[in-house]
Order: sequence, then C-alpha cells, then structure tokens
Amino acid sequence: METRESAFGQGEAPREPEVGAAAIVGRSPWQLFLIRFRKDHVAIFALGFLVLLVLAALFAPVIADRVAHHGPNDLFIHDPVKMVNEFGLPLGPNKQFWFGADRSGRDLFVRVLYGARTSLLVGVVATGFAVFVGVTLGLIAGYYGGWRDTLISRTTDIVLSFPLLLFAIGIVGACSASTEGCFGGLIKPGLQLVVFVIALFSWPNIARVVRGNTLSLREQEFVDANRAVGASNLTIIFRELLPNLVAPIIVYSTLLVPSNIIFEAALSFLGLGVPQTVPSWGRQLAEAAEVFRVAWWMMLFPGLFLLATTLTFNLVGDGLRDALDPRTGR
Amino acid sequence: MIVAACGDDSAETTTTAAATSTTSGATTTTAAGETTTSAGTTGPQPGGTYRIETDGIAYTSGGDPSGEYLGISFGIFTNLLARTLLTYYHTGGANGNSLAPDLAVDFPEISDDGLTYTFTLKDGIMFGPPLSRPITSKDVEFAFRRMATESVVAQYEFYYDGLIDGMALSADLPDSIAGIETPDDKTIVFHLTKVSPDFVFLVAMPATSPMPEEVAGCFLQAGEYGRYVVSSGPYMYEGSDQLDASSCEALVASGPISGFDPENHSYFVRNPDYDPATDDPAVRANYVDRITIDLNTNVQDIYAKIRAGELEGAVSSGNPPADVLQAYATDPALAPLLKEGGDDRTWYITMNLTVPPFDDVHVRRAANLIMDKAGILQAWGGDISGVVATHIQPPGLSGLGADYDPYATEGHRGDLAAAMEEMKLSKYDTNGDGLCDAPECSGVVMINRTSSNWTASEPVVVNSLAQIGIQVAVQEAENHYTIIQTVANNIPIGMNPGWGKDYPDSSSFVGFLFDGRGIKAEGNYNYSMVGLSAEQAAELGVVFGPTVSVDADIDACKLAALESEQGGLDCWNALDMKMMEEIVPWIPYLWPNILTTIGPAVTSWDFDQFAGTTAFSKLAVDPSLQR
Amino acid sequence: MARYIARRLMWVLLVVILVTFLTFLIFFVIPPVDPAILFAGRAPSERLIEEVRQSLGLDHSFWVQYGLFVKRIFLGDEYGWPGFGLSFVTRSPIRENFLERAFVTMQLAIGAAVVWLILGVLIGLTSALKRGRWQDRASMGFALFGVSAPVFWLGLMALYIFWEKLHWLPGTGYSSFSEGVGQWFLHFLLPWVVLALLFAAFYARMVRGSLLEAFGQDWIRTARAKGLSERKVVYKHALRASLTPVVSLFGADLGTLLGGAIITETVFNLPGLGTYVVRSVQNGDLPVIMDVVVFASLAVAVMSLVADILYAYLDPRVRYS
Repeated sequence: METRESAFGQGEAPREPEVGAAAIVGRSPWQLFLIRFRKDHVAIFALGFLVLLVLAALFAPVIADRVAHHGPNDLFIHDPVKMVNEFGLPLGPNKQFWFGADRSGRDLFVRVLYGARTSLLVGVVATGFAVFVGVTLGLIAGYYGGWRDTLISRTTDIVLSFPLLLFAIGIVGACSASTEGCFGGLIKPGLQLVVFVIALFSWPNIARVVRGNTLSLREQEFVDANRAVGASNLTIIFRELLPNLVAPIIVYSTLLVPSNIIFEAALSFLGLGVPQTVPSWGRQLAEAAEVFRVAWWMMLFPGLFLLATTLTFNLVGDGLRDALDPRTGR
Repeated sequence: MIVAACGDDSAETTTTAAATSTTSGATTTTAAGETTTSAGTTGPQPGGTYRIETDGIAYTSGGDPSGEYLGISFGIFTNLLARTLLTYYHTGGANGNSLAPDLAVDFPEISDDGLTYTFTLKDGIMFGPPLSRPITSKDVEFAFRRMATESVVAQYEFYYDGLIDGMALSADLPDSIAGIETPDDKTIVFHLTKVSPDFVFLVAMPATSPMPEEVAGCFLQAGEYGRYVVSSGPYMYEGSDQLDASSCEALVASGPISGFDPENHSYFVRNPDYDPATDDPAVRANYVDRITIDLNTNVQDIYAKIRAGELEGAVSSGNPPADVLQAYATDPALAPLLKEGGDDRTWYITMNLTVPPFDDVHVRRAANLIMDKAGILQAWGGDISGVVATHIQPPGLSGLGADYDPYATEGHRGDLAAAMEEMKLSKYDTNGDGLCDAPECSGVVMINRTSSNWTASEPVVVNSLAQIGIQVAVQEAENHYTIIQTVANNIPIGMNPGWGKDYPDSSSFVGFLFDGRGIKAEGNYNYSMVGLSAEQAAELGVVFGPTVSVDADIDACKLAALESEQGGLDCWNALDMKMMEEIVPWIPYLWPNILTTIGPAVTSWDFDQFAGTTAFSKLAVDPSLQR
Repeated sequence: MARYIARRLMWVLLVVILVTFLTFLIFFVIPPVDPAILFAGRAPSERLIEEVRQSLGLDHSFWVQYGLFVKRIFLGDEYGWPGFGLSFVTRSPIRENFLERAFVTMQLAIGAAVVWLILGVLIGLTSALKRGRWQDRASMGFALFGVSAPVFWLGLMALYIFWEKLHWLPGTGYSSFSEGVGQWFLHFLLPWVVLALLFAAFYARMVRGSLLEAFGQDWIRTARAKGLSERKVVYKHALRASLTPVVSLFGADLGTLLGGAIITETVFNLPGLGTYVVRSVQNGDLPVIMDVVVFASLAVAVMSLVADILYAYLDPRVRYS
C-alpha cells in the first residue's frame, strides 16, 4: 500500500490496508516499530539530513549574517558589489556569493536557505491540517460506518476526481483578486492561502488510510470487549483506536509532507504561490525558468535543495512504513 | 509570457520622441526612424514573404477595429488593413508622430469657430475583396455609428462621445449622428460641441476607418467582425476573397476568413483593389507580397530562428529576453540587427491621495526622493531597456526632457538624507526622526504585476521605501489593473501601472489621467484620485476627500492649445511640473525602449512611432538570404 | 455486469455534475477577474460595463447561468455538439481551439503513458527478479528519485542539458506531426520522459510488489513444482497476475494526465489544455475553464470506469457488489 500524490496534487487512493499489518501493530506497536526502524540505516541517515535542514532553516538568519554576510533582502545591484550585469542578468557563484545571485542581485545561497523555511513550514503546516481533517473524517467513517461512511467516502472520491492543481490555481487566483482575500476575509492572499489550498486537497488520502485501519480495528476483540463493558464511543475512539492508529498516521503524514512541499513549489512555479518577498524554492525556479540558459545556478541550487528535501522525507517515510509493515520490506 | 489583456496594454499604444530615447540606450543599437536599407539608390526590392512569429498577440476585441486598442493592433490596422481620413508616417521618431492625409485629399478645412471639420475623400480608394467597391463618406460615417452601438463595445468611444455633436452610446445601431454629415460620397463634415485641437488625431484612430455596412453591419456584437474585416489598406487577410458578401447569412456561411485566427495566425497578402497612386510611399511602402504572423509559444525559439535567418521578425509581448539582448548588443556583427524604438510611455509608481500615509504630500515627496530609480532600471535590464523617468509625460510627447528632474538624486539612486528631511515635515513622522513611524506606515499594501521585470525590481522599491520607514506588503496579481482600477479597494500604492499615449497629444496623457471628473467606481484610471470632489468621495465610499484638483488647469491647457501649438505644449508642460512638485501623485521611474531583432534577410525595416511596433508597411526582404 | 456498468455510469455522471457545479460556484462566487470590466477595456463607463455584463450573460442569477452552461454542454450550441460556448476574452467560439489543444495534450499524455508503462514494468520486473541485488537497489533508487523529483525542475534541467549544452534536442514548443515526424518526436521526447518519470516510479514499485507477492502464492509454487520452466512461470503466470492491478491504475492515471499536464506544458511551452486553462484562469475566461474542467473530470471518471471493467474482465475473482 502506498500513498500517491503527484506533483499535480492528483492523488491516487492508497490501497486498502491489509488486515495483517494492523494485526502486527496491534500486538506491540511501538517497540517492534522502533526496533525495526533503527535498523534501517538509509532512513536514519535521511532523518539526520532532515534534522540538519531544519536546523539550517531555523538558524537561517544567523547563517546569513555570520557565514554569508548578506541578508535575504540585501540587493547587490550597484557598484561596488554588483551581482547583475549591464543587461540585468545575474552573475554566477563566486567567493562571496556561493550560489550566485538572482535577477535582483540578491545572494542566492541565503535565499535558498530561507527557502527551506518556507518549504518546510508550508509542507508541515499544510500536512498538519490535512492530517487533522483526514484523521477525523477517516475515524468517523470507519468507526460509525453507515451513512456517515458513505457520505465521507463518496466525498473523498469526488475530491480525488477534481482536477486539483487547476482548482488550486483557481482558488489562489480568486482569493488574490483583492486585498480582502476570500471567504469573507478569512483567507488572506499569501502564505496563509497557499497552506489552506494545499490542506484542502491533501486530506483524502489520509482519510482513506485511517478509515481502512479503523475498519479492521473495529472488528477486533479488544474493541468488542470495551464495548461490552459499556465504554462510550468517544472513549473507544480516543483510548483504543487512536493509539493504534498513531503509527500509520505518522507514516502517511511523513509521506504527505514531500508531496505537499512539491505542491507549494508547483504553485509558486506557476506564479501563484507565496509572494516574492517570501523566499521559496518554487518561486526561485520559476524565475530561473526565464534565464536558465545563461544562469544555470538559479535553476540548479534551489532544485537540488528541493529534491534533497523531498527525497529524504520519502526515505524516512518509506523506512517508517517498512518498520510498520515489514512484509513490504526491501 | 502572459500578457494581461487589460487596460494597461492600452498603455502599449504609445509613441515617442526617438530623439531622447535612442541616445539613452546602448550605442550599439540602430536608432528608430532610420530605415534600414540594403544600400544603393534603387531602394529595397519588392516581393517576397516577411515571416514573423509571436508568443501571443493580445486582442481586446477579437480583431475588430472598433474594439482593438493595443499598440500591436494599431500597428497592423493602420499599416496594412485600415486607412483612415488622416494617418501617421509609419516611421520612428518625431516624424512618426505627425499626421499625413490618407483617405482625405488633404487636412480638414476647419471653420473659424473651430467647431466644424470638413474632409474631402480621394478618388480611387476602394474596399478590397469580397466587396471591391469604392469607399464613400458613408462608410466613414458608418464607423462612427458602429462605435456608438453599445453591443460593439468600442473601447475608446469615450474620446468621441459628447465631442461630436449627438454622438452618444445607444442600445441599437443609430441611424445617424447629428454631428456627422455626408452631403455627397466624397465629403464628410464633423460638428463638434467644443473646441478640440486634438480632433485631427482622433480621425487617425483605426476605429474610424471606413467600414462597409453590408459586412460590418452584420456583426454588431463585440469581437465578431474581427474575422470578417474588409480591408481598405494595401494588404488584406489571406482568403478575404473567399467571403460571400451577398447577405449576412452568406457571410457567416462562407466565413470566417481563413487568413486570420486570433489564437493562431494572421496572414496578409496584397489587396488587389488598393491603388498605390492614392497613397504616399513615405506613409506606406508595401514592398513585400506577403506577411505571415504565426504563433510560437517559445520566445527563445523565436529569437533563435530570427538569428538563424528562418524568420524575419518577432511580435512579442515584451522585449527580447536579456540573454538575447546581450548577445546582439555585444556582438558587432549582430548589433545592426537589433532594432530600437522609443516608446511614448511612462512606467510609474502610483500613490493614492486618499489613503494614509500617502494622503500627506510630504510622504509622497519623500518617496520620490528615496526611490532608487537606477536600481529599478538595472533590474529591468539595464540601460538598453530605457532611461530613468523624471516626470510624468515622456519627452517624446511634450519635449520636456530628463533635464527637468524635481527629485534629482546622485545617479538616480535616491537620497536618504533629503528624503528624511522631507519626511520630518510629515504628520506620519511622529517623533521627527525622518522615519515614517505612525501605525499607518506599516503593512501598506502595494500592488504589483507577476511578470519578471516587475518582480525583479520589486525588492528595489520595497527596500527604498523601507529606508524612510514605509513598510509595504506586496500583493502580486495577474489582474493587477482591475485591483487598482476599483476605487473601493482603496489601494494605497501600486508599482504596476504604466501609461502610453493613445495619440501624440497631452490630452491623452496628463489631460486624461488626472481629470477628477473622470473618476469612477470601476475601471478608474485616475489611481491617485486627483481632483476627487466631496460628492464623489461620499458616493464612492472614499474616506478622505476631496483632494486637490487640476481640472481647471486641464481645461485651460486645451484652450491654450487652440490658440497656438506652442502655447498648448507650454501649458501641458507647466501642468506636468505642477503635478510633480505640488500634487505628487506618482513616482515616475522609467521611459522604456522597445527592442526587437530582425533576421539577416531583412532589407528594409522601420519603427512605427504611433503604434510603438514594427512599421509593417515598410518591410522588405531579400528572399535569397532567407532560410 | 450490465447493471454494474450502468450504476458506474450514473456515478460518473454525478461526479462530473458535482465537479462542474463546484467549479462554477468557486469561479462565480469569487471570480479572480471580473470579465465584464476586463472586456469593457480602457476607461469604460458604467453603462458599458453593464452592457458587457449582459452580453456575456453575467447579469443572470447563478442558477440560470449554471443551467445554461449545463444545457450548452449536453444539448450543444450554435457551433455544434457538445457545446463549448464562446470565449469571454477572444469572443470567438472555443470549439476549434479547444479541440486543437486537447489534441496536443492527448499526444503528450499518451506518449508519456507509453513511456511510463514500458519503464515501469521493465524496472519493476528487473527489480523483482533480481531481488536484493544491485539491480534491485538501482531500480528502487530510481523509483525513489522519480517520486521525489519535482517535474518542473526535471524539465528545466533536461532542457539545459539536452538543448542548451548538448544540442541533441530542439528547444521547447510544439511541432505538429504534419511538419515532420522527426521534429515532432524530438519536440515531444523530453516532455514525455519528464512527465512519465513520476508514474514510471510508482508503477515500478507496484509491479515489483505484486510480483514478489505472486511468487509467494501457492499456485505459483504449484506451477514450479509441476516443472514449468522458470521463464514460463514468470512471464506467463506471475507477470500476468501482477499486471492486473496495473491495468486498473493505468486507466485512472491516464485520465488524470489528460486533465492536467499543466506543469509540463508550462515548462515545455506546449499549447495544450494545461497552458490554456492557466491563461484562462488569469483572464477570467470562465467558459474555457468550465470546458477544461468538464473534460478533465470526465477523463478521470471515464478512464477509471474503463479500467475497472477491464480489471473485472482480467481477474474474474473480482465480484461486483
């Protein structure tokens, strides 16, 4: 079983989880899980990279100040330090500007570093919202069944039939039409809007996974036992089901983050993401698209960082999943 | 990239004085107005096909001459398809802004009171296929009647509305317009309601070109006529002769014309009914037999083909990419193939007089003083892309050049000390430290475009304003014009607008932009709200108002222009200075150049100053050099 | 079976109607651009804006407008069936343009599908057969890369390397089949591969997974025990069984692709539906947006229906309930 989410934000539904997987987790979820994960050296290495990236993003201002000696919005457009040529083309990497400059003469190294902040922030926050919505709906559908299940499952199907990127473009365009934002000013243009749109379209996969897992858990003895002693539905959900769902939720959230990061980058690439003053890898690549033939650095560095981030998230996610369900192991 | 089919590009219809702009650009480019010829006294050889590709022509009305208002359409119509009573010498520089008789035998006879204009039409002027009949004064009159028809959505009807006696929008095609008389087939008389020296320019606009009622009358919905246009010029759309004009139904059944598809291509061939004897070779030379414009979404590919000789030219929504410009400007062999024309346009930052902190003139002046205009120019593409603008009207329009600079700073980089001195005078600098520090100074929404010249220069503007304490929150949008044109949005500042003349007269520039009587809720062009009256403020829901008005100055200048041309110019220039020093609605930053490259087979090329495009009627090729 | 198909068809219809309704709602309630103001042009009078609003049909209520749209789609309009309508921006019928662009997108999608099927199955097969060996690791490494790499960055990198540096391929843009097969192929090669990579990665993983599962099944063990050659076991039995889920996914994925090769078309300047719709969103050209959305959601729904039917045909164990 696999969560799939393409760069178009068009997800393919994960297969229904096999009952066996949940059964194994059901016995002693955490220990087995952690032991297996620790043995996965690739995943541990990837996790290490992610930790470094988060640190770099957190300390971006310090690094910019102490190491690069340039702020993210410092313009080097006039002599004596001029990083654009007489035709407005940026200049490439040198000793002071490790990754070269962009068209406004800003230090690309610092911009890429700050871009990590945007990507991680959007990726994680949007995923957080999506997971919250997905888990809630998945639990309701799986646990209660009946018309609630039908309603939620069909809604999920329909959301997955949407041309999602197109919708995202439409909503972003619509909500940026005035400074008021949209939905009565609830959603303002900019970062907030991007997070909202990504979350809006990425919850269905989580909902499906959670529903499937809940369905199989519901039939198990310990749930029946609880029901028999008169535990309320909420008690069963929070005491019994949710703890058993934590592992799959973590796995699929981890796998959702990179696809949401790409989603943000794709929106920014189309010019509909975060504003230019907010450094973003997608935005930097969109700018690169116009000059990449003569300014390869603008294409290479943000792209490499983007790739490394999604790659390591996927590696960690795969590792977590293998640890959760060793039968899919490599 | 994508052109916003929006009011702005209206701005693209500018012309300019080549005198100022050409000297400013890189010295390697060839100045506009200088027709490139292959040498010799015989001139360019006629014949051949001139091949052009475009990354997308923005049409405002599907190619209908009544509704098209972008420069590229002005260029195509006035050069190739649509003759008007008067037209321009399709060339670069000041000469390209001057009028020549076209359908009319001469300039009009103007009555002593300045209200009646009489034109006499030439003999031998004909509509092309499928009509192939003489053009009469009724056909010119029909163009005006059609413009006055609401459903046609004629985009600049407002210039004529109320000026020509009885001309006003009407729900149906008006039978006649009181102020237009056609006593015979060769004579047309216009009666104006007020003295308007710029009327001669108005009868050179493509919407006034003769239209046959038996064809154009069949298409009274906006955009429909575009693919059935009957030519009155030296060329016609290929396949025009395939139309059956016997009835409206027959037209629709036989159409549309195959040679024009707004989303794909425009193919022009010679109009067999055009008699060169009725035209002036200085206006239209018509060397080539055929002109093709095809769509190619890859701009890099277009310029690569031009360089390789597989194409003669480009019609693009912007200048060539910076790497192409660099390659041409730095290679002496290529430099002659880089063409430059001045654009009678100003790019500027608009400040709203009704929204804090820009309701304070000191803040507006300080913003002018701090702005790093040289930095903006650099981010746009450096000296080759234009010159720093120092006041409102481009020099080509009024003759007032860059030597008038009320906010001169060293190297145009902005002057922090001077800006802070000015800011100290403002109520928004509460502690007198030269920084805007009231709450209104932060989170100021600034509108911007999404295309690269603007996004690249955006940080320059943001950083400049931040130096005097104004913290802007940029909002980039594709529909940037709609946002600032909707008064209720109360946008404080925008770096997106530009304005180019519709015709070479200040009444289509300062005389149009700052007229308080023109302020309206939607589609407003007076972004700074200069001359907003108390009643308007109440009606439009604007909190701060009224604002200072220059309506009286505008009226005075129109009268002065009637007295003498020089008097008019002086008056408009004085108004320009007043705007800059007393009212300060703008931070003008760039007078741009229009650049393009041509293929090695081109033996004649010229710039059209009026339209700001290639002069399509002045092109010639040497087919032996084509690949 | 017939009842199943009929029910699924109803579902397809319902999805398409719901999707178009929501799209219409979004663009109606919060239009990115007011087409009337845009179209009225420079310095329009309020009267002119009102006139344009009427001529575009924007003065009707939401329900009337939506009803007219549905009617246009199902019953056709003066330009033929199905009714594509009139563009707000060019004021010309959408039909011709839409079909031309749909053709470009289809060439892109089908070519990419061929590439990813071949790549995906080959890589998945190799990796399953060489389980645990370097071929397996390389294959899964490729799959991981394919899943992680952003399409637009891959596109730019590929253009830089193969066009700018090596001059092996022409630049971006569309070259139609009639202009020469060679140019057509070269212009589409990079878009196909770049677009296919992500899917190829998924398919490789899936084929590998289901092959490995098949190898563990009783009937494969039986086949082996009966003395069938390993070749026959793999190609005839295991591969066939493991391709069944591929078929069902393939349909849905192809539908998805048709609906939205937006990024690929943008990077490679292809005049397809993706670039068309992006431009239309920016222009507020609602009829075009709606046409593309209908087409895209229809493509997704119909293709997954076809896939489900095929799946049932291939794997009789599937019961319709």
